[in-house]
Amino acid sequence: MLKNYFKIAWRNLLKNKAYSAINIGGLALGMAVTIIIALWVIDELTFNNYFKNHDQIALVFQSQTLNGNTDTGPWIPRPLEMAIREGHMDNFRHIVMSSWNNSQYLKYKETSISRTGSFMQEAAPQMLNLKILKGEKAGLREINSIMLSASTANALFGSEDPIGKVVEVNSEYDMMVSGIYEDIPFNNSFNDLEFIAPWKHYITTSEWIKNSFDNWDNNSFQLFVQIADNISMERVTATIKNIKKDISANSEEFNPQLFLFPMNDWHLRSNFANGKQVGGRIRYVWLFGIIGAFVLLLACINFMNLSTARSEKRAKEVGIRKSIGSQRSQLVYQFLSESFLVVGLAFVFAIIFVLISLGGFNDLARKEIVFPWTSTLFWASSILFIVFTALLAGSYPAAYLSSFKPVEVLKGTFRAGRFAAVPRKILVVLQFTVSVAFIIGTVIVMQQIRYTKNRPVGYDKNGLIQIPTMSQDFEGKYELMRNEFLDSDAIVEMSSASSPTTQIWSNYSGYTWEGKPEGFQEDFAWTQVSYEYARSLNLKIVAGRDFSKEFASDSNAVLINQTAVKYMGLINPVGLYLKDSNIEDPGEPRQIIGVVEDMIAQSPYDPVKQGVYAFDNEGASSYYILRLNPKKSVSENLKLIENVFIEHFPDIPFQYDFVDEQYAEKFQSEERIASLASVFTGLAILISCLGLFGLTSFVAEQRTKEIGVRKVLGATVYNVWKMLSKDFVVLVVLSCVIAVPITHYFMTSWLEGYEYRVDLSWWVFALAIICSVLVTLLTVSFQAIKAAKANPIRSLRME
Amino acid sequence: MLLQLNNIYKWVNSGGQRIFLLKDINLEVEQGEFISVMGPSGSGKSTLLNVIGMLDSFDEGEYHFLEESVHTLKEKHRAQMYKEYIGFVFQSYHLLDDLTVQENLEMPLLYKKYKSPERKAMVADMLDRFNIVGKKDLFPVQLSGGQQQLVGVARALISNPKLLLADEPTGNLNSKQSEEIMELFKQLNNEGVTIIQVTHSESNAAYGSRIINLLDGRRV
Repeated sequence: MLKNYFKIAWRNLLKNKAYSAINIGGLALGMAVTIIIALWVIDELTFNNYFKNHDQIALVFQSQTLNGNTDTGPWIPRPLEMAIREGHMDNFRHIVMSSWNNSQYLKYKETSISRTGSFMQEAAPQMLNLKILKGEKAGLREINSIMLSASTANALFGSEDPIGKVVEVNSEYDMMVSGIYEDIPFNNSFNDLEFIAPWKHYITTSEWIKNSFDNWDNNSFQLFVQIADNISMERVTATIKNIKKDISANSEEFNPQLFLFPMNDWHLRSNFANGKQVGGRIRYVWLFGIIGAFVLLLACINFMNLSTARSEKRAKEVGIRKSIGSQRSQLVYQFLSESFLVVGLAFVFAIIFVLISLGGFNDLARKEIVFPWTSTLFWASSILFIVFTALLAGSYPAAYLSSFKPVEVLKGTFRAGRFAAVPRKILVVLQFTVSVAFIIGTVIVMQQIRYTKNRPVGYDKNGLIQIPTMSQDFEGKYELMRNEFLDSDAIVEMSSASSPTTQIWSNYSGYTWEGKPEGFQEDFAWTQVSYEYARSLNLKIVAGRDFSKEFASDSNAVLINQTAVKYMGLINPVGLYLKDSNIEDPGEPRQIIGVVEDMIAQSPYDPVKQGVYAFDNEGASSYYILRLNPKKSVSENLKLIENVFIEHFPDIPFQYDFVDEQYAEKFQSEERIASLASVFTGLAILISCLGLFGLTSFVAEQRTKEIGVRKVLGATVYNVWKMLSKDFVVLVVLSCVIAVPITHYFMTSWLEGYEYRVDLSWWVFALAIICSVLVTLLTVSFQAIKAAKANPIRSLRME
Repeated sequence: MLLQLNNIYKWVNSGGQRIFLLKDINLEVEQGEFISVMGPSGSGKSTLLNVIGMLDSFDEGEYHFLEESVHTLKEKHRAQMYKEYIGFVFQSYHLLDDLTVQENLEMPLLYKKYKSPERKAMVADMLDRFNIVGKKDLFPVQLSGGQQQLVGVARALISNPKLLLADEPTGNLNSKQSEEIMELFKQLNNEGVTIIQVTHSESNAAYGSRIINLLDGRRV
């Protein structure tokens, strides 16, 4: 019986090749999109699963409240470690203090490379369950030991055995390689942990770290933990929540709260607003999940519509089968097995599409997804997926077709009736509602990105590079290097700063000024800069003056930005002093000598933060900022700069970033989403149009006789075209009417997530409507005109 | 007795008026009869045949088939009876275009869940009996009208029905083909198959043992 069903289904497919191609092709496309999205979603959801203990690992987070604003992040003070070790260790298996993941120079013999890594406590390899390839897992025991990832070791030592070799770190310390661990795969938070050095060593490297030993106010460290078995994160959080608050002197002011932030949330739910976890990337996972489901739905709708549209052709078959003894259930089985055949074929094509496009998708989405050939889970869910799709797509045609009464269909009087097309029309409206919504959504996302990209940054980011200078080697060499670079004629100006131009690394409080309101808890973005900072960035001074070597007092001067003027409630800030509010041991007061234009250093979607550019009088430089000579080509300039650099720092690899590229990176996440969304939108529209194309051809075929009669009576091609197109255009316009308010609602709430945002403009909606109507007309016209041009004599003779 | 119709009424409502398709039909059919139903177009011949064949329902009256009261049976049970006892032959053959002659013959057996070897044997038997072995792999469009109807009759008979219903079986055929089919019916009737046919042709009706005349849904 089943064989017979498939035989019929197969012959049917072969007989109507165009129909089958549209049906299977459309479905395959829809499935391919769904599979790719599913792979992406799984990749996102299994982030960090490389670590066996991922359910138990967490970072200790701290929330502090300032002026009613709560800031949350993984920054904690050093004495917390001892507080936990002494009082709470039964709740933990491991606790691991760690530095931030920074790039350092590693040198062995003549090979010098830059790699990112952290200084961590001994338990790190056990906690992360790193796979040791050579050496020992307890490789951080000795103060001068270092563990390398396999690829770092390979870059440094090539084929030599790395164990026991001595690596020079930042041209300061010699460290002996004690272990090599397998590279941590791409979709993991520790992906860029390319070496691990002992924490013991880190705490001896500089004065401020040594001094932080018992300082509860220096939140410059990270603490990773693995909790004990049989206890939940929440319960552990409850025990450590107030450790700092109970000890620290400033707790009244800041209300510090500690809590565990589970590794499972790091990637997808890492946004905090006012101390509350508010999601994060998970919303993109949802977004794409929904898109995938919709695209599949569109493809299934095609299948349903095309099947039922062909019902008149198959009505006779149903009648005959019933009259020779088929029961309704047997017909349902027959149509479902046809559906299974089509879906099965579509799945095979879908897999082929996926294999072809996975590489491109990975580039677009910045992923390293491989096709899960060997995953039983994948194949099991694929089978489920096929069954589900076949049932979804096949159930309606099966129910509809099998309900025909044999007497009616066999008498030849069967006409699908005026209302038979209603469900079909509803489905078309649903399809185009989704498509129009996708178009509008994508256009608005792109508008928002472009709008933000065009936002004035406040300085000239083109032709600007920055060189990291965090290593000790650079200490005291700023003036020398500036002169050398200027002499080489590769640059026209240079400055140094404690943060990169596109970021803010420090925030300061603890200052008062004349007219500061009572109880105002100030908080400034704080960047320490050299004399030439504003000049090198082409940052405009809007009041007062720039730093100048002519004023000796400028070593204690600051510039503030326009937002800071408003923030501090000042009208004429120039000349005022920022005074240290620490009464016992006050620092020098800082005079405000000028106001600079606001420049975007953080998120381009947020307002600029109140900022202070303080003259760097303690050698806090982390970057050189170089304004390239515009009269020479960029490559020429870079060559000259590199030569000078190598001459003075032969042991340090020459590294630099273009500021405009760094700035552009801020848009990457949104841009990636936008480009993915536009690809999926395109496919959704294509699938909908395929369906429409198929439907039109059936309608045209169905109405062949009518068209023939009309033509004999004098209808022109235009009349017929109008008649056939009108029905569909009405449906699409109706879809737009439904889609517009829905997308308006959702896009408004999406845009509310951005402080700096584009206004929704009516023309986007108008454009989407016009586009969809045009696309519909194009799709429909092909068939409509073909039908209209056919010779009426032939179509009438057929009857 | 094979079947009995008592006071069968069937109507449709159209524009507030009740139009009777069948009006007070009483009919008894014995096993082995060969009945011809005659009457002008629209007199209810086909409707009657469909009602007897359980393809169509009726609004009033009683229908007994082999001691079962059809009017009280559930849809599923009725389909079961239909499949078991009744074979249908149509004016326009109604073969499945996508299947070969052989596959068309096999179809009713599939619905009755015969095993594959059994089906093969029965189909081969039927092909042999109707002399169409050479055509078994052809599709319906490749056959003449007479040959198609031959297949149609073969298909109706393959599962050994007690009752063969034929709705103008020769309506689309020329006189020679028509004669062949009627001879075939005669022969089948002699072998014991009960036949009810609808026909316009006096000569065809003459093959039967009894003639029922209808006019405006009533027996006359």
